[in-house]
Amino acid sequence: MEKLLEMNNFFKNIIIGLFSVRSNLTRVILTASGLTIGIFTVSIVSAAVSSIDKEFAKSMDYYGNDKVYVGTWPWSFDFDWWKYRNRPKIEESSLEYITQYSEYITDVSIKKNTWTRATYGNKASWVQLNGVYPSYQDMLSGTKIENGRFFSQNEWDLQRRVIIVGGTVRDGFFQGKDPIGKKIRLNNVTFEIIGELKKQGIGMVPGGTLDNLVIMPSTTFERILTRWGFDELVLQTSPEDIPLAKEEVGMIMRVARKIPPGDDDNFAVNSADAYMEQFNTMKNAIAGMGFLVTGISLVVSAIGIMNVMFVSVRERTREIGLRKAMGATNFNILTQFLSEAVAIAIIGGSVGIALIRLTVFGLASFPIPNFNGATLPISFDLLLVFYTFTVCVFIGVLAGLIPARTAANLNPIDALRDE
Amino acid sequence: MAKSKKEIISIQSVSKIYNLGETVVKALDNVSLSIYDNDYISIMGPSGSGKSTLMNIIGCLDVPTKGKYKFKDELISEMDDNQLANIRNEKIGFVFQTFNLLPKLNAMQNVEVPLIYSSLGRKERIERAEEALHIVGLQDRMTHKPNELSGGQRQRVAIARALVNKPSIILADEPTGNLDSKSGNEILKFFAKLHKDGNTIIMVTHEESVAKLSKRRIDIFDGKIARDE
Ligand SMILES: Nc1ncnc2c1ncn2[C@@H]1O[C@H](COP(=O)(O)OP(=O)(O)OP(=O)(O)O)[C@@H](O)[C@H]1O
Ligand SMILES: [Mg+2]
Repeated sequence: MEKLLEMNNFFKNIIIGLFSVRSNLTRVILTASGLTIGIFTVSIVSAAVSSIDKEFAKSMDYYGNDKVYVGTWPWSFDFDWWKYRNRPKIEESSLEYITQYSEYITDVSIKKNTWTRATYGNKASWVQLNGVYPSYQDMLSGTKIENGRFFSQNEWDLQRRVIIVGGTVRDGFFQGKDPIGKKIRLNNVTFEIIGELKKQGIGMVPGGTLDNLVIMPSTTFERILTRWGFDELVLQTSPEDIPLAKEEVGMIMRVARKIPPGDDDNFAVNSADAYMEQFNTMKNAIAGMGFLVTGISLVVSAIGIMNVMFVSVRERTREIGLRKAMGATNFNILTQFLSEAVAIAIIGGSVGIALIRLTVFGLASFPIPNFNGATLPISFDLLLVFYTFTVCVFIGVLAGLIPARTAANLNPIDALRDE
Repeated sequence: MAKSKKEIISIQSVSKIYNLGETVVKALDNVSLSIYDNDYISIMGPSGSGKSTLMNIIGCLDVPTKGKYKFKDELISEMDDNQLANIRNEKIGFVFQTFNLLPKLNAMQNVEVPLIYSSLGRKERIERAEEALHIVGLQDRMTHKPNELSGGQRQRVAIARALVNKPSIILADEPTGNLDSKSGNEILKFFAKLHKDGNTIIMVTHEESVAKLSKRRIDIFDGKIARDE
């Protein structure tokens, strides 16, 4: 019972604090806007980072954590074209060395890449084309054959014009109907669709989507598509063997290409984890900037709230004296002023949340055209609300503590005598 | 006056000394005093003689530098801040010269302030505040803000606030000091009525005519009690 009454007292002081906020609303809102900005930036940044993360994880699936890629250029954001422009193309013949000498590589395929126009009736679209071995069926990553089948060894030998299509083809050309057996034209040559891949969605890969893809036998690719492109070797290993496999493949490639000892590699052995590192550096830079801005605005707003609270204590010195004369304890006064500070912080945070809500709403109604109708995936959830309130309470208490203590420790006689 | 009265306050050899570096101010100098139930005391004396200091000590707003202060059976001079706040809340009603109402609260809410710091529930708080405003005759001014009330009415709200927790003693430091004589007289009539109803009242005043209305008069001079009758 005693405890219950104490609680009751505690809440009464909070209410007194809240009422004083109401009577100074303009000042409060001005002060709180710092927190609004802080809360807004932090959630936009963390949403951006987490959505980049999600996209990136999908791209990782696309490249696979159990594959090594041999190509002309390294996967890197700071790509030095002058350094790499004279490198020889990747030769399919290197695969024979790798299958013969490698311990860690269990399966191989060529992957010829190009982009071309695909047409069906009067519809047209740019697609990414891959020419691969039949073995590539088992090396698909991040997706699988969902409908129909992959091409056979026989079809590869005979250079058949059969293709497996990515998830966007169905909607783009066939209004969502089954595309198997349909014929589309690539570079003005007719191909039959024999298989369809599971949709992967948006990823951080050239073209933005992982589904705008057409796969065919590399033999057919070579015969029909002579436009520019590049070749890669796709090598299957297991995730834990990636580092050793990369080292080994590098050595085999040097042998295959007869590079004299001491000369630089003229090829690149890539894997998703190296890409991941690059990406993490970029992500951390974005996050770092965002959190810096947030940190600064939180500190600034804490100082602002502290200042407003000092003004409030100064203005209400007589009130404090009177309340103390009427029996308010130091703790009562402390609670009153602390809750005033927390209320200011929460007002700022709530406006921030409202802004985020509006932004999410706004983004949802303006899809980003390049991304095939997808939106920037900023999410708005209860967790965000919870974190915001926690941060606001924390900032409010932190900023209000010194002014509230000053108020609580005022001598009642001096306070009452204040003009 | 022959009746044996119950002592509620006992002050023994109390001094309040302000040490201001070079000078030492003895605001109260070895004062002893007993206050009995249903006393109506006026304290007089020149400015700076220590009247307010004495009132603040009696009201537990201030603690003596030396001496013993007993309120009923409780030793006030040994209490900490929280205990003092409790005594102020439960046992003492203050009336100030400058009213000291909170400008943003209406009459009713102002009267409720002491109750907020007691353990009463909301319903009982409202009942008590209404009752107190009835006693001072302001039942039809309950929702008025202080700036919508006359000086006399404001002081009556302040008296209602002093009464609301049913204190053992009412302390008024120059309650008529800021009022014209008509409103001042009303307030004094009011104190007389409260005294008749059994309340204990101590009042500081500068006016002989006001002091005459009380039943006991204490004169203070230079921090000492010069007369008590
Ligand atoms: N906080 C303080 N610090 C130093 N001296 C003080 C303090 N408060 C009061 N005094 C001194 O104590 C003495 C008594 O002051 P007090 O306020 O009790 O006088 P008073 O009798 O109420 O005067 P008045 O009639 O003008 O209200 C004065 O000399 C005053 O200057
Ligand atoms: Mg005085």
